[in-house]
Amino acid sequence: MKLLREVLAYAAFAAVVGVLSVWPRYEMVSQDEAIISFTFSHAGKRIGECRTLTQEELNALPPNMRTLSDCPRERHPISVELRSGDALLYKDVLAPSGIWSDGKANVYRRIVVPAGSHSIFVGMNDSGIDGDFEFQAAANIDIAPGRNVVVRFDEQQQQFSIR
Amino acid sequence: MIERVHSIGRGVFRLLRRPFSRAFDSEQNPLNYLGALTVFFLWIILVSGIWLLIFFRTSVSAAFDSVEYLTREQWYLGGVMRSLHRYASDAAIITIFLHVIKEFVFDRYRSVRWFNWVTGIPLVWIVFPLGITGYWLVWDELAQYVAISSAELIDRIPIFTDSMAGNFMTADVLSDRFFTLMAFLHLIGLPIFLVFGIWLHVFRLNGPRINPPRRMMAAVLLCLLVLSVVYPAVSHEAANMAQTTQVLRLDWFYLHVFPLIQSWSPGWVWVLLIGISSVMTIAPWAPPAKELQPAVVDLDNCNGCKRCVDDCPFGAVEMVPRTDGLSYSHEAAVDSSLCVSCGLCVGACPTATPFRSRSALIPGIDLPDRSAAEIRNNIIEQAAPASAEPRVLVFGCKDDREAGKLRRAGANVITVNCMGHLQPSYFDFVLSRNHADGILLLGCQDGNCNYRLGAAWTEQRIARERDPRLRKRTDTTKIALSWQAPWSDFTGAVATFEAFAATLREPPVATGVLTS
Repeated sequence: MKLLREVLAYAAFAAVVGVLSVWPRYEMVSQDEAIISFTFSHAGKRIGECRTLTQEELNALPPNMRTLSDCPRERHPISVELRSGDALLYKDVLAPSGIWSDGKANVYRRIVVPAGSHSIFVGMNDSGIDGDFEFQAAANIDIAPGRNVVVRFDEQQQQFSIR
Repeated sequence: MIERVHSIGRGVFRLLRRPFSRAFDSEQNPLNYLGALTVFFLWIILVSGIWLLIFFRTSVSAAFDSVEYLTREQWYLGGVMRSLHRYASDAAIITIFLHVIKEFVFDRYRSVRWFNWVTGIPLVWIVFPLGITGYWLVWDELAQYVAISSAELIDRIPIFTDSMAGNFMTADVLSDRFFTLMAFLHLIGLPIFLVFGIWLHVFRLNGPRINPPRRMMAAVLLCLLVLSVVYPAVSHEAANMAQTTQVLRLDWFYLHVFPLIQSWSPGWVWVLLIGISSVMTIAPWAPPAKELQPAVVDLDNCNGCKRCVDDCPFGAVEMVPRTDGLSYSHEAAVDSSLCVSCGLCVGACPTATPFRSRSALIPGIDLPDRSAAEIRNNIIEQAAPASAEPRVLVFGCKDDREAGKLRRAGANVITVNCMGHLQPSYFDFVLSRNHADGILLLGCQDGNCNYRLGAAWTEQRIARERDPRLRKRTDTTKIALSWQAPWSDFTGAVATFEAFAATLREPPVATGVLTS
């Protein structure tokens, strides 16, 4: 009898392990929803112009520090906006990273949207000048349930892609 | 306040006690071997993991296929190994969780035990990433979810200039080198820290229990094997960056926090995790345990025999070169920062004998708060005939809540810090000097002794297997051992006492260990 109880106890232990390793199911998005993943890492323009050093200035520098131009380190924050039709999905002004504000600004957002037809627009301004976006893209996409649409900025091509 | 929390926790363990004590003998009860069982699960994980490694391919395109090969085509071995690997990992989380809760509710984390408690916290921080990186390697839809969510969590740490989660948006940006990194972390990096961490966790303990009994190991392994065959672990579909899996079969043992990353935010999840860890880290001092009077060495009576060093459960006694000019080479020295005042060193000291009549009873090592002489005086004072016959003298642990009940049942009860506090010559003293007809020792069962080794040392000393041994002239049928689980409600102690008293009324037939 004791042995039977022992077997039952181990069976209960195995059941707990087996069940909790897969159940309850986790619904990440519902059956009629999809995801728009919005990501990029981009450095804003420098806050000032680079200046070419004179020969005297270069001579005054140690040999290993003689670069021809002197550029300000700090960069502009980046304004960014993501829309689906009239609905604003994301809008922010992203500060440059780093303690000298000289690094890339980056963003990553996972946005749940209803499946169906979407007119997606993305725009970015990296020069700190008010007005139109310097980089922008738009696309009409029919998003199937569960699909992951990626909106990202390609640093090499210097343009947004929506796919 | 904290005592109230401990009390509620002990109530929960009492609920667990019933089914477990019905199913298992004390020495086979998994609740007594939670730490050791965790180590055993790690062995299973290691062995099964080596098999998986032989066939696993660390690249984006081949990882999933290699795991599928193991699961489907080599199901009879690779599939079983994969399931064992996973289920042993899950089981380890259960034993770790219960181990932490048990040590907390039975107040085994404060005082000198803070070190074992605090060094256990980084172990938890290693075990979870170890399991989580394992899920990455499968590179199925679950891995995709785990990878993106983990990356979102890591991105919240304000030291990275690029978003790690951005690397999982499209298949073309994910490189094989990333898998190599994950494999390194899962197979080498984290396991090395884990092994070192376990060593650190137990290295202050004398004789840590690393392995559970063989029968229990066999039973647990068989249990997981059956589960692996009946309900094998399988993958989701292969990872697809263009798609988001809507419903996932999460392993809640490891991934319970992941849904919070989406429903709260990565920042709040960090607050939760760091908050829990911080609270646990300061728990030994919030509030601190009562100050304990450490054991003291009396050099005039210490002959440097080293038994106290061998028996101390926390390594608080060490032998140092003699300082008083006596002819012995060494003397005992107590590290008061490690001493828990359990008295096991006194129980091991050959000079802690109550038979001394010409000199004061001052053993080589003693507890100022509960001296050997004081215990002898208690025995002599309580030798007067009790209301019940036969006269049973009960030695109970100091925290024993049953002492009052036993007193009402007619027993003389003397409390000691731990059963191992009593040197065996005390039993001889009680019986040979006719201070009682029988002795009942009411202590915590092995594996649950508040001072780890008290029950084991007591049994071995009475069985004459460990020094100082019980004298041969002492009739062991007049000594009963009643070991109780700490979560026990001790309802059986009175019955045990009465059963033992009944045996004393009749001629003894055999030595027995009474349990309730």
